[in-house]
Amino acid sequence: MKKNNNMGLAQAKAKSTAIAATVFLFPALLLIGIFIVYPVIDTFVISGYKWNGISADKVFVGLENWKTLLHDEMFWKSFKHNLIVMVFSIVLQIPLGMLLATFLDAGGKKFNFFKIIWFLPYLMSSVAIAFLFVYALATNGGMVSSFASIIQGKKVTIDLLGTAPNALYTVIGVMAWQFTPFYMVYFIAGYGNIDTTIYEAAIIDGATRWQYIKNIAIPLLGPIFKTACIMSLIGSLKYFDMIWNMTQGGPAGTTELMATYMYKLSFQQFSMGYGSTVAAGMFILITAIALIFNKVFKVKEVY
Amino acid sequence: MNKKRVIGTLLAAALAVTSLVGCGDSSSGGQTAVNTGAKQTDGKNLPELTTEPMEIILWDIATDEPAKSTQEGAVQRFMADYPNIKITQVHQQNDNYKQQLVVAMSSGQAPNIYVHWGGGPMAEYYNSGYANDITDMYAKYDHPEFIDAAVAQSTYDGKMLAIPFGGLSGCDIFYNKTIFKDLGLEVPQTIDELEDVCDTLKANGITPFSLANASKWTGSMYYMYLVARHSGNAEFDAAYTQENGGTFTSEAFIYAGEKIQDWVKKGYFPDGVNSLSADDNQDRALLYDGSAAMMLHGAWQVSGIKNDNEEWYNENIGVFRFPEDSEAKAKGVPQDVEIGTAIGMGMSFNCYNDDGTVNQDMLDACYVLATQYYNDDTYNNDQLSTGTQPSIKGMEENIDDPNMKIIADVFFNASNVQLWYDQYLPASVTEVHKNCMTELFGLEKTPKEIGEEHDAAMQKALAEQ
Repeated sequence: MKKNNNMGLAQAKAKSTAIAATVFLFPALLLIGIFIVYPVIDTFVISGYKWNGISADKVFVGLENWKTLLHDEMFWKSFKHNLIVMVFSIVLQIPLGMLLATFLDAGGKKFNFFKIIWFLPYLMSSVAIAFLFVYALATNGGMVSSFASIIQGKKVTIDLLGTAPNALYTVIGVMAWQFTPFYMVYFIAGYGNIDTTIYEAAIIDGATRWQYIKNIAIPLLGPIFKTACIMSLIGSLKYFDMIWNMTQGGPAGTTELMATYMYKLSFQQFSMGYGSTVAAGMFILITAIALIFNKVFKVKEVY
Repeated sequence: MNKKRVIGTLLAAALAVTSLVGCGDSSSGGQTAVNTGAKQTDGKNLPELTTEPMEIILWDIATDEPAKSTQEGAVQRFMADYPNIKITQVHQQNDNYKQQLVVAMSSGQAPNIYVHWGGGPMAEYYNSGYANDITDMYAKYDHPEFIDAAVAQSTYDGKMLAIPFGGLSGCDIFYNKTIFKDLGLEVPQTIDELEDVCDTLKANGITPFSLANASKWTGSMYYMYLVARHSGNAEFDAAYTQENGGTFTSEAFIYAGEKIQDWVKKGYFPDGVNSLSADDNQDRALLYDGSAAMMLHGAWQVSGIKNDNEEWYNENIGVFRFPEDSEAKAKGVPQDVEIGTAIGMGMSFNCYNDDGTVNQDMLDACYVLATQYYNDDTYNNDQLSTGTQPSIKGMEENIDDPNMKIIADVFFNASNVQLWYDQYLPASVTEVHKNCMTELFGLEKTPKEIGEEHDAAMQKALAEQ
């Protein structure tokens, strides 16, 4: 009590803020600790063991799994697939999202209909989308093959998911279909954040709509671009659900991603230890790429 | 804003409904035995079951009819006789069942009874301490007279680890009788004759085989049979151990691979074979619309096709065993190795106390449930009526479906039953095998390359054991 009296007002305030912050942050931190920090650490711990995932005896093998990982052809092949998916995701989804957002921003209320229609794919679950496209692309009675057959007047089989290079690009296309709406909404929000006075000032100065977009809006959207790119990058590096349901990494591993490979090892092939090494490897690679990206593309805050 | 909210609500509702459906309802279905005080186990040589309350957790994959009613019926009959023992039956989705089980075991939540397909995973569960050894109980107490192949498949390392309940399944070739009759084709006895049949079909614009190889194990059946016809079990068994020069690049494997690729080139399989999926029955669909004439598949297709259209099935579907390799036969290679499963599924028990000792009371209850209620007359009749052949001696006499009769005949006369490679091989080799099947039918790798990949995976798996 005595101590309290000696404290200055600023100090007391700082202390109560600290207490409040602790109280409010505690639940979130606890959950993050249990569901994110602990599993990440545990993944690294398990990566040091040879363990089938169910047995009570784990054998500590040190860095053995990591050595295997460095020379694991399949892992690096799936990493390469991840990189391809990443590049195409950024190149397709973000410009497309931007374009749609610009269109909607220019159109205002009139285009609300498109806003809803275009956003629908993102509302569907990845699993549903996967099944939808598996059926649409089926070689036997699927939409694509059937239309091609009607147009050409004879039975044509367009095999998009069953042959080697096609499958990966098909999956990338479906991913773009799913995620472009997300970036669209993101950019719409970005446009909404630009002060109308800037727009008005530009118009009064005689700028055309195009000049406004090119010279004012896009530079102002810079930070949004960057965040979108990082989200797309991380998303495509850890992508799992839709690929799993569409191809399970097939045909013959040509759409295998790091995440599907990790899942197969850990839960289907009874090698949880090595599967964890792959997961930890993924963690390191994704973090590294995201950090590098962040450094290389330093966008100045223009606001 | 309002529209969005409506859509959101609808989607949320849809989600809620689908997740509820997944839960199922274990209390419905099945016949409830009339409790007359007499148990159906009375007078049999069985362990005395506890009278204390007990709860047993059972995991199966009986999410769909008719398996759901059949299996729930067995549990209901057991609980009517032993009201103090509560069986909590959990139906898991087949698709991720194996993964669920691994997760449950690793987190100490493993069920007391769980179903599986035998083979490599069963060995894995046992070696990790999640399967009770029931050899002594099986020798001491009453049980149905399972066929030898079923007992063999429930055994690992000389120990009985499971009680069969799923019924046996062989693979044979289903064919469209009408098409065969119209084109004047006979059921082929040898692989050469089979190829003649295929050529005739092809010349008439019909795809010889309906195959959905996105599922991979479907294409594997052709590979397995060609290997088996060319070398019996000898070369596969040798390759499996990788000892005494055994290898997946030995003659029979190369023969099988080359034959398949030859058939692919000749157009014996449908276009886009690697993207058709058996999970969606796309192979059956090709049979239905008459664009394909034959389908090598498991015996469960009988009930599947019957369910779709019984009339069409009766009119059109016949079955024959995989033809013989006449050259190999001349050399004395047995031509009656059957690919399939003798148990369909088995159930293993995970009854241990906290200190790691066997919980015998619970194990006794599990044993009685699996041998006397599953596999009892009611259960077997339910199985038979849906086209499933119980793996119990003498049961073949109760079949009336002519195709099922042929399938059972082939099965019971087989000198050996080879379990599907993708169930039999260690899990890591299975993955390689399945990928190889895609590449084989996709003409992306040669039979030799595929064999070498199998060898590498097999050696790695053996080294880790």
